Amino acid sequence: MAGYSIFGEALVLGLASGPACMASCGPVVVPSLLAERAGTRLNARYLSHFLGARFVGYLLFAAVAWGLGALVSLPPGPRLLVVGVVHVLLACVLFWYAYAVGHACAQTCASSKLVTIGGPRKRGVPGAAVLGFLTGFSLCPPFVAAGVRAAELGSIALALLFFAVFFVGTSVWFVPFVSLGWVRRNEAVTTVARMAMTLIALYYFYLGAMMLMGRKVYGY
Amino acid sequence: MSVLLTLPIAIWSFLMFAHFWQPNRSAQIAIIMTAVFMIALFFMMMRTRSTYRWRRWFFVAMGLLFPVGFIHTVIAMRGTMGIPIEEMIAGRTPFCFLPIPLLILPAALTKTVVFPGSILPGRGMAGAGMAAMAGMWLAITIVVGKGWCSYLCFFGGIEEGMAAVVPRAKLKKIDTRWRYGPWAVLLATSLLSLALFDSVYCMWLCPFKAVSEYVAARNTLGLVQNGIFIVLFAGLVIALPLLTKKRTQCAFFCPFGAFQSIFNKTSVFDVKIDRTRCSPCVLCKTACPTMSLTDESIAQGETLLSCMKCGACVDVCPKDAAVWHIKGTEVASKPERARLLLLYAAWGMAIMFGGGIIAQGLATILHVFI
Repeated sequence: MAGYSIFGEALVLGLASGPACMASCGPVVVPSLLAERAGTRLNARYLSHFLGARFVGYLLFAAVAWGLGALVSLPPGPRLLVVGVVHVLLACVLFWYAYAVGHACAQTCASSKLVTIGGPRKRGVPGAAVLGFLTGFSLCPPFVAAGVRAAELGSIALALLFFAVFFVGTSVWFVPFVSLGWVRRNEAVTTVARMAMTLIALYYFYLGAMMLMGRKVYGY
Repeated sequence: MSVLLTLPIAIWSFLMFAHFWQPNRSAQIAIIMTAVFMIALFFMMMRTRSTYRWRRWFFVAMGLLFPVGFIHTVIAMRGTMGIPIEEMIAGRTPFCFLPIPLLILPAALTKTVVFPGSILPGRGMAGAGMAAMAGMWLAITIVVGKGWCSYLCFFGGIEEGMAAVVPRAKLKKIDTRWRYGPWAVLLATSLLSLALFDSVYCMWLCPFKAVSEYVAARNTLGLVQNGIFIVLFAGLVIALPLLTKKRTQCAFFCPFGAFQSIFNKTSVFDVKIDRTRCSPCVLCKTACPTMSLTDESIAQGETLLSCMKCGACVDVCPKDAAVWHIKGTEVASKPERARLLLLYAAWGMAIMFGGGIIAQGLATILHVFI
């Protein structure tokens, strides 16, 4: 019974933290989703890739942090390093995404496949999955909130399960993003999305570079 | 007839400038000069039936005199153009209209205003407060839509002045996709403002920080931010308008301009192309300072959503095919009446908003001599 209440708590915590997750991932999800082709089915596929990879990133990070005994309070040095590297990688992927969208659209605009990163289309990884995986490491406030509670549990398996249920709660808030599939895609929308991605990438790159240089930015 | 048509504006000017009246002699002279200037320009608009060139005199004067008055006030009250973090924490940052669209998402989702200013009238530079500013913006915007960017923006005049300096453009071929820039900046800064709980445009991308006030550069962060402001100002407000004869910051960058474009749908005033008269010579397309006319839009008899009702296309058209229009009426039925109604609304607000700015800037300069 106690186990059920713990997971109920994880779900409620996830649902309550969802808006913060949505706001935190919004700069990555919204422009990249707009850069994809229209259609709710394709956009739902994008989100499933994004959330699935984010889930993997979440659990991986939680498992490693648990192993190091630092799930809640990662020391400032490694924390800056991890978040800095993630931001630089995120910036690189967003730059690539912005480039790949233009490239893909010039060749096979009618295709119903997602934009891929690296290699020919069949072997490439969906950009959504790469972005999702990287945002899973972002150490956003909801993640830390879940970490505090998960760290109190007895075993790593329970902690990961707690994270999984928490993740389901937060993911509900991402469902409305599917409605972006109804936005008609034309040159204007795709160009705006690509330009926005580039601007956001520049910001993340700056943030990451400053962290790697050991400078504090916005409370990290 | 021109005198009669100018009379309501003269009365409105009298009421407004009487409100600005101060015991200081330099301020009094500045107020009288500004009132005469505004009434004379309106009279010339009526007499010559031309809008753009007379409006430009006002707009450039406002753009050039705003920094003069504002910087003087900031230095008198605070001793520096840099905003110290203590002032931000105390909510004494002056609020301008540019971050309005960026505040909407955080306010809607969290009931929080992510700007370090005061909602109600506050002490120091907080002035009338955000609520008054936002209320005034909304009222004006509903009426004139993106006309705000031609009659009320106190920054746009600097680049319009720069664009007017050169006789012809040196850079003529501009990729039309740059027109999407303001929407991209709006999307990126809105999302980042929500994610970071910060007015990202003000902190990172506003070119006009270079001529108003800036984040005090006490560390690397402040240094980088100020570097960006200066580069953007030099590029978008000075160099590119000189090369292209366009309002490049407004056309390719300003997120507020993109947001205002949406309100062109609510405004009853717009500009149409009368296809029965149009040749098309595309002089209007060349004259438009924000690239709001394309071959396709001219063929459809429309301007693009980004039209800011400056009147450049209407004035340049040799066949009177570009016309002022009131929605719901027939195109080119009574264009002069549409122009008059728009000008009464826009000029009335320009006197209220820009008149004070011009008078304050002039008073600052006159104060040196008197």
